[in-house]
Amino acid sequence: MAVIEVKDLHKTFIRQDGTKLEVLRGISTQIVKGEKIAVIGPSGSGKSTFLRCLNRMEEPTSGEIIFNGEDITAPACDINLVRRKMGMVFQHFYLFPHLTVRKNLTLSPVHLKIMTQDEADAKAKELLERVGLADKIDEWPDRLSGGQKQRVAIARAMAMNPEVLLFDEPTSALDPEMIGEVLDVMQELADSGMTMYLVTHEMGFAYKIAHRVLFIDGGVISEEGTPDEVFNNPKKPRTKEFLSKVLHR
Amino acid sequence: MKNNLTRHDGAGRGNLVLGIFALFLLYLLYSSGFFTAAAWQDFNRRFYQNFIKDRRYMMLVDGLKATLFMTSGATLIGLVVGLILSVIRVAYKGGAPIPVLNAMANAYITVLRGTPAMVQLLIWNFTIFASARNLNTQYIAILAFGLNSGAYIAEIFRGGIEAVDPGQMEAARSLGLSYGTSMKLIILPQALRTVIPMLFNEFIALLKETSVAGYIGIDDLTRAGQNIQALTLEHSQPLVMVAIIYLVIVLFLTHVVRKLEEWLSRGRRG
Repeated sequence: MAVIEVKDLHKTFIRQDGTKLEVLRGISTQIVKGEKIAVIGPSGSGKSTFLRCLNRMEEPTSGEIIFNGEDITAPACDINLVRRKMGMVFQHFYLFPHLTVRKNLTLSPVHLKIMTQDEADAKAKELLERVGLADKIDEWPDRLSGGQKQRVAIARAMAMNPEVLLFDEPTSALDPEMIGEVLDVMQELADSGMTMYLVTHEMGFAYKIAHRVLFIDGGVISEEGTPDEVFNNPKKPRTKEFLSKVLHR
Repeated sequence: MKNNLTRHDGAGRGNLVLGIFALFLLYLLYSSGFFTAAAWQDFNRRFYQNFIKDRRYMMLVDGLKATLFMTSGATLIGLVVGLILSVIRVAYKGGAPIPVLNAMANAYITVLRGTPAMVQLLIWNFTIFASARNLNTQYIAILAFGLNSGAYIAEIFRGGIEAVDPGQMEAARSLGLSYGTSMKLIILPQALRTVIPMLFNEFIALLKETSVAGYIGIDDLTRAGQNIQALTLEHSQPLVMVAIIYLVIVLFLTHVVRKLEEWLSRGRRG
C-alpha cells in the first residue's frame, strides 16, 4: 500500500506584481513503504516545490496528497499531526542555534508529549551514535562543521520516529569533503528500511540508493523509471541533455 | 588572544584621544584665569550657593527620581504596547486574517513615530486630560512617553523577529510544532538576542526624552536644574551639573548594554 499518493498536484505562485508562476503543472506519483525515490531535474523545474508540498511547507493550489489513507490537503486535516510522521531535512540544516544538540533533538517529542525527557534523551543518544556524533550531544550547533550539522539535522528529523523522510538537497550547501559523511548516514538510513524522498544533485548517490528516479522538468514528471532506465537509457532528449550536463559526458 | 590584544589597543587609542581633549580643556580654563585663587574661590562660593545651601542638591535628587520613575514606567508601557503591535504585524504578514487590526497598528505606529514626543505630551496633558486636574501629571507623562515609545519598540520587536531566518520557522513546523509554539520556543528566543541591546538603547533615548516633562509642570531632573537657576540667578553651574548627571547615567547604561551584548553572543560563532 502506498504511504504517500500524489494526485494531479498543481502549484501556482503569485508574484508581487500579481503575475502568476505555474511551478507544478500536474504531478501524480506514489511511494510505498521502504521505497527510496530520487527526484532530479534542472533548477527551477519545481522539484523542491514538489517535495515541500508533500508536508505542506508550500500550500498546493490543487490536487490531492494522500498520506496513510488521509487526504492531507483537506481543510479538516491537522497538518501538525501529519508532520510528526513526515520528517524533513533541509539544504541549510536549520538547526536551532539557541539550543544544544540534545535540545534540538528532544524539544519537539517532549513538548508534544510523545516522549518523556528521559525517553527523548535516550533516543537522542542512540540517534547521535548512529550518525557518529555521540560526543557532540551537549555541543552548540554553531560549533559544528557543515557535515556535522546536517547529520544532527537528520537525527533531529529521526527523533520523531517518522514514517517518511523528505530530503531537500541535503548536500548542496556542503563543502565537497563533507558530502561523503552525510551520504554515508543517508545510506545507513536507506539500508535500515526507511521510506525516503530525496531531491538531489548527487547523481551517483541517487543511482546507488533509489528504487525509482523522477526527472521533473517544467513542473511535470517528464521521465521516470529505475535508476538504470533513467540514467543509462533515457528516452527523452531533455533528460539526455540534462544528464549530459550534470554528468559531464 | 589576538582579539583581546586588538581590542585593548582600541581602548588605548580612545583613552589617548580623551587625554588630549582633557589637556586642551585644562589649557582653556587656565588661559581664561580659572586657576587663579580668586576664580577658584568664586567657583566654590557659587557651588555652595547652587547645591549645598538649604540642601539644594535634594532638588536634583528628587528630580532624578522623577526622571527615572517616568522613564521606567514609560518603558514598561512601551514594552507591552510594542509586543502587542509587533505580534499583530508579524502575524498578519504570516497570513493571519486580521487586516483591520493590522491597519490600526500601522496607523498607530505612523502617527506616534511621525510626531514629536513633546507635542504628544502637551496634547495628552492639555487636551485629553485637561479636565482631570487632580491626576498626578507624572502619570500623564508616563502614559504619553510609554505610548510613544511603544511605537518604536514595536518596530524593534518586528525587526528582531524578521531577522530570524525563515528556515527556523519551517524547521520547527516540520517537526509538528504549531505556529504559536514555534514562535514561542524557536523564533522569539532568537529574536530576543538581537532585541535586548536595542531595548536598552530605547531606554537611554527615553531617559533623555523625558527632559521635556517640565513643560507640563513636572519637576524632573532638567526642571530641577532650572529651579535652582531661578533661586540663585546662576546660569552655568546647575545646568552643567544636570548634563553631567545625565551623561553619567547614559555612560553607565551604555556599559551595561555592551556587557549584555558580550554575554548574549557567548558560545556563538557568526
